[in-house]
Amino acid sequence: MDVQEQVIRLRGVRKSFGSTVALDGLDLDVSRGEVHGFLGPNGAGKSVTIRVLLGLLRRDAGEVELLGGDPWRDAVELHRRLAYVPGDVSLWPGLSGGEVIDLLGSLRGGIDRRRRDDLVERFELDPRKKAATYSKGNRQKVALVAALASDAELLLLDEPTSGLDPLMESVFQDCVLEMKAEGRTVLLSSHILAEVEKLCDRVTIIRRGRAVEQGTLAELRRMTRSTYRVETERPVDGLASIDGVAAVHVEGRTTVFEADDAALDAALGAVRAAGVRSLLAQPPTLEELFLRHYGDAAATEADRR
Amino acid sequence: MTTVTTIAPPPASSTTRARGSWHGTGRLFRLALRLDRTRIVMWTIGTAALVGVSATSIDGLYTTDAERLAYAQITRDNAAMIIQAGPGYGLDRPTNGAILMNEVAVWTFVLVAILGIMATARATRLDEETARAELVRSAPVGRHAGAAAGVLSVLVTLLVVGIAVAFACVGAGFGVVGAVAFGISLVGVGMVFAAITAVAAQVASTTRGTRGLALSVLGAAFVVRAVGDVSAPWFSWLSPIHWGQAVRAYADERWAAPVVSAAVALGGLAVALRWADHRDFGAGLLPPRPARATASRWLTSPIALAARLHRGPTIGWVVGVAVLGAFYGVVADQAEEMLADNPELADFLAGLGGASITDAFLATGLLVVGLLAAGCGVSAALRMRAEESAGRADPLLAAPVSRTTWAGGHQLVVLAAVVTVTVAGAFAQGLGAAVSMGDARQVGRVTVAGLVMAPAPAVLTGFAFALAGAAPRRAALAWAALVLAASMGLLAEVLGLPGWARDLSPFQHVPAMPAAPFRLAPVLGLIVVAAACCLAGLAGVRRRDLAVG
Ligand SMILES: Nc1ncnc2c1ncn2[C@@H]1O[C@H](COP(=O)(O)OP(=O)(O)OP(=O)(O)O)[C@@H](O)[C@H]1O
Ligand SMILES: [Mg+2]
Repeated sequence: MDVQEQVIRLRGVRKSFGSTVALDGLDLDVSRGEVHGFLGPNGAGKSVTIRVLLGLLRRDAGEVELLGGDPWRDAVELHRRLAYVPGDVSLWPGLSGGEVIDLLGSLRGGIDRRRRDDLVERFELDPRKKAATYSKGNRQKVALVAALASDAELLLLDEPTSGLDPLMESVFQDCVLEMKAEGRTVLLSSHILAEVEKLCDRVTIIRRGRAVEQGTLAELRRMTRSTYRVETERPVDGLASIDGVAAVHVEGRTTVFEADDAALDAALGAVRAAGVRSLLAQPPTLEELFLRHYGDAAATEADRR
Repeated sequence: MTTVTTIAPPPASSTTRARGSWHGTGRLFRLALRLDRTRIVMWTIGTAALVGVSATSIDGLYTTDAERLAYAQITRDNAAMIIQAGPGYGLDRPTNGAILMNEVAVWTFVLVAILGIMATARATRLDEETARAELVRSAPVGRHAGAAAGVLSVLVTLLVVGIAVAFACVGAGFGVVGAVAFGISLVGVGMVFAAITAVAAQVASTTRGTRGLALSVLGAAFVVRAVGDVSAPWFSWLSPIHWGQAVRAYADERWAAPVVSAAVALGGLAVALRWADHRDFGAGLLPPRPARATASRWLTSPIALAARLHRGPTIGWVVGVAVLGAFYGVVADQAEEMLADNPELADFLAGLGGASITDAFLATGLLVVGLLAAGCGVSAALRMRAEESAGRADPLLAAPVSRTTWAGGHQLVVLAAVVTVTVAGAFAQGLGAAVSMGDARQVGRVTVAGLVMAPAPAVLTGFAFALAGAAPRRAALAWAALVLAASMGLLAEVLGLPGWARDLSPFQHVPAMPAAPFRLAPVLGLIVVAAACCLAGLAGVRRRDLAVG
């Protein structure tokens, strides 16, 4: 099998606005055919990254390769092959939703009528309303239909489901899975973890304009401490002094602790010496995983590495 | 026997509830003042400077009674002048104050009316449309507090403008009583149009619709008073602009006239308030109609979208400028009659190189048409900038549309609009002149003169595009350039500026047809400058980040 083709490749990208550093040496890799989650706390630089990828902003330094081209220089050519949905959709107040969808479609060189009408129906969008009178979710749907009706090979989605109701959210997830089955690539920035878990093959977590973690969800889980709950015959000795073990709690014969995968062997050795009666391992929940990466601890950890 | 228990009225009596809906007005008022302070300062300086400069210039021009009488004779019975200046109160025994009022009052009233309209539309509809007001209203503030604070801030702006204008008059050596009367009449007219806008904001559900309605009322008010002043004085009383004129500043002041303005303003605000109580947040009394479900066949390119976006406002400008142009054309005929009994004007004409007074008048009318076309162009160029900062350029540029295509499309459409407005105004003026003189040839020659004028507004439009492209945060300075270009002739005279300063205005370079002969070189020069400005704007757009916000 040959090496997977890179659709997006960023190396050491920097972007500042005056004294605000938005991107601070960002690396990002997205390969063809994957749905790539792009996560990070508010203000981390996700939207700025996507706007750099669209050639709306010009990077200050670093390398950016998008579909084999340079997003600033080859913007027009590249945009034939991608579609974009912003998180905060602003539409022309005088045009109807249907007009906006058709306009954006024809700019990309025509729109598949059947697909468009099908999507309008699936998203329960009324295309006859003036954009000024749409609710936030409905504005979002207009942009989604315009993007999903295109035959773009890459979709850049910046919090595309903000404002959608759960029913529409699941329509959206179905659409993305269909795209994936067709072999298209999706970069999905999102704060909705359930959505990320359901859709994304790999994720990149950024903080303060830098990638702090990249990998499959399973890999990220492995890198994070799991929680263990053991019942022993005697009190467990020396657990707290093992490097990589934390949050040790003892309640009678029950001991609860967290351990890195690397420290697991040593920790279990200590537990076994106390006579194991039962053992329960609990991988981190998605929330725990992200809170660890979003919080301040993650920053210092990433800096140490 | 059964006792009938009456349900006690709720503890909150209607008066306390009414007060509750104003809760928080004070704090929001301070916020509005802070947000508006730059605008207040700009409007104040602009209006006071306009009046002050005119006052100084009149003081220098008319030094003897004979000169003042000559002025009065020229203007008093001349319909063309009355349309622009009003009935000419105090010109039977003319003072410099009366001359000043005759020259600037009507236009200053129009200016403060626009101030009242723009500021009120922003404080009422725009806030509601952008859902800023939603955030505010979710705080413990009353339902009317936001709009009330906005209207109060408009009132403060008008008061500051009125006081500044009064000081400008006094500073230029004019009497205090007249200055106070003029200041009061300005506040009155501004507040009436603020109230009209508040009512319009209840009727229309968009900011654009609100401004459009209120500006139409202003246009109608101008026409009504023009017609009334010329032919039937009672008719003028239907126009809010006349309520300002009727104060007769620097003539025999009528202190009861501002009461009319105040009463109508309060009445209008009360109506707006009543209607606001009966409608939903964000809705208007005019229900929105269902729009197209699919795009028409021609709406397929960035330039088609630009055409669609600029279409509505351009139609508004064309209609407005055409009406004004037709007026100039119709009264141009009378300019000739006036010449017969005014030797002073004959002397003045000698300086124009033998052109007829009619042609001189037509050329002046075309200058006004050109300035208005420049206004259309500048506002349209800034609309492109607004598209960008509202984030609506993003989806276009995320499609295979280059920045050049996007911005260039706007430039082409806007330049076409500017030429259309100029030529339409000139055509209407030519038509008016042809009808009043019974000379069909006027249509052609005035229209051609308009076409020759078009490069001048195109230069100002190009300048606005250059700013929007290369210095987007300073783009609003294009308005300053327009005001300077409009007043440069007068300013250069009053301030004694050197000739090159005057030459900065593109309007100094267009041949004043039909009064002056056509010259190719300056027209070509203006076209080159306009094109260079547009290209600079394109280069700017291509080079920089596209900023949202
Ligand atoms: N045009 C701009 N001018 C100045 N600063 C900007 C601009 N655009 C973004 N920034 C700054 O860049 C940083 C990154 O912003 P960005 O919008 O990329 O965050 P984000 O990761 O998308 O956050 P969110 O999850 O809230 O959408 C922020 O500090 C923001 O204030
Ligand atoms: Mg964002």
